[in-house]
Amino acid sequence: MGNIITASKMTLAYDNGRKEIIKSASFSIRKGEFVFITGPSGSGKSTLLKSFYGALAPKEGRLSVGGLDMTQISQKKLLELRTNMGIIFQDYKLINEWTVEKNVVLPLIIGGYGIDIQQTQAKKLLRHVKLSEQAERYPLELSGGEQQRVGVARALSKNPFLILADEPTGNLDDYSSNVIWDLLENACNQLGSTLVVVTHRIPTIFNLSYRHFIIENKGIYEVR
Amino acid sequence: MFLLPLLAILIGVEFFLVFNRVTQDSEEKLRESYSILVVSEKPMSIKDFEQIDAHINKSIPIKKEQIAKEIAKGMRNTTDQEILNALPHFYNLYLDRYLSKEGVDKIKKKIMATNGIKRVETFGKNHHAKYSLFLFLKFVFWSFVSLMSLVSIFLVIKQMEVWQMAHQERMQVMEIFGAPMLLRSGVLFRMGIVDALLAIIITTAIFIYLRYDYAPNCDIELLVNQQSLLFRFQDIAILSMSAFTIVIMAVLMVTFKNRGSRE
Repeated sequence: MGNIITASKMTLAYDNGRKEIIKSASFSIRKGEFVFITGPSGSGKSTLLKSFYGALAPKEGRLSVGGLDMTQISQKKLLELRTNMGIIFQDYKLINEWTVEKNVVLPLIIGGYGIDIQQTQAKKLLRHVKLSEQAERYPLELSGGEQQRVGVARALSKNPFLILADEPTGNLDDYSSNVIWDLLENACNQLGSTLVVVTHRIPTIFNLSYRHFIIENKGIYEVR
Repeated sequence: MFLLPLLAILIGVEFFLVFNRVTQDSEEKLRESYSILVVSEKPMSIKDFEQIDAHINKSIPIKKEQIAKEIAKGMRNTTDQEILNALPHFYNLYLDRYLSKEGVDKIKKKIMATNGIKRVETFGKNHHAKYSLFLFLKFVFWSFVSLMSLVSIFLVIKQMEVWQMAHQERMQVMEIFGAPMLLRSGVLFRMGIVDALLAIIITTAIFIYLRYDYAPNCDIELLVNQQSLLFRFQDIAILSMSAFTIVIMAVLMVTFKNRGSRE
């Protein structure tokens, strides 16, 4: 299977390159893999994820996502790439003025899909995340766990080749966290999407068969 | 609501257009009614005067017959013809535009320096009074327009800040999911264009009412006489251009400001 993400001696930095977060990291993630990236707070987990969806360009080295060179990618190509990704955030990043249903189909709206396809997909996904009854409600009327399920449904709505999740259960209780992990694991298995999850610790419900990277002292190491 | 600042700007623009037309019209009337009287020993043509100063664009000789008759009435032994022969030539000179007092004095000096010119009367005091009033009115209007522009710009900036606050999150989320700029700013464009259309319609309605209903029926002579200057249908094009330019610029600025920068 081909690589979806390949980093080669990649350095990530803020402040015009002055503040290095990740230094000379090399790794690759293959198509269809479920990968955990862990590390202590402030180690650079979210920064690494940002580089995957192009919000941060590598200072040095190379990074390729979906076959595109992220060091030289144009704004147009970057937006195209993002329409084929699903991204899940710790703070959900839902659009509070939109209904749950409209939030779920955001990637389809961006992709220019017709209203029929949007409605069909929204129904299917909301049933999948057990939020069919909440379709017409607004995010702020939902609990944290429910909002994150909306976030997961949104990430899955366009059958993305890559799902990036940044601390997806960081704000949730154990029950809601388990629901989210189930949904993500199923999505990875059923859709064949590559799933990269950044979290401060791996939940106990998972066995150790998944690949696991750890960020430590600006380096990225695979745990075997 | 972007309507209020847009309305203030469009009313300011229309006031500017109206005042510009009124001042141009007044200037034209002042120019047409103003002339310099020249007394010359020899006959002079318009070309002779144009050579003295380029601002002189018309000369009308004053008929001497009537003057000679009036003088002859008080004299016993002199005929009209003898008086006529003895009288110099009189000319009314008209200028191409309404000049300041200094401009008129300069022309007077140049004419006086010409051979054969006996006297030049510029009616300077009267001219100066009218010119000063004209300048004062212009100054008052420009101050008003400048103030109105400042307030309008302030209102537009405030509205942009409101947009920024209200739409920042939505636009950034949409960008993360790959929405192009036009889609991200679509809501703002729609709101802005609706407000622009409303502002154009309201401003047009106000000035159409002033021209066709208020001005003909009011007792203000200036408005009655100059009602045709109050609104012209080509103003709608200028108002539309101004409104849409402001909306497009404001929306683009908010969209660019909300763009998640690539670090």
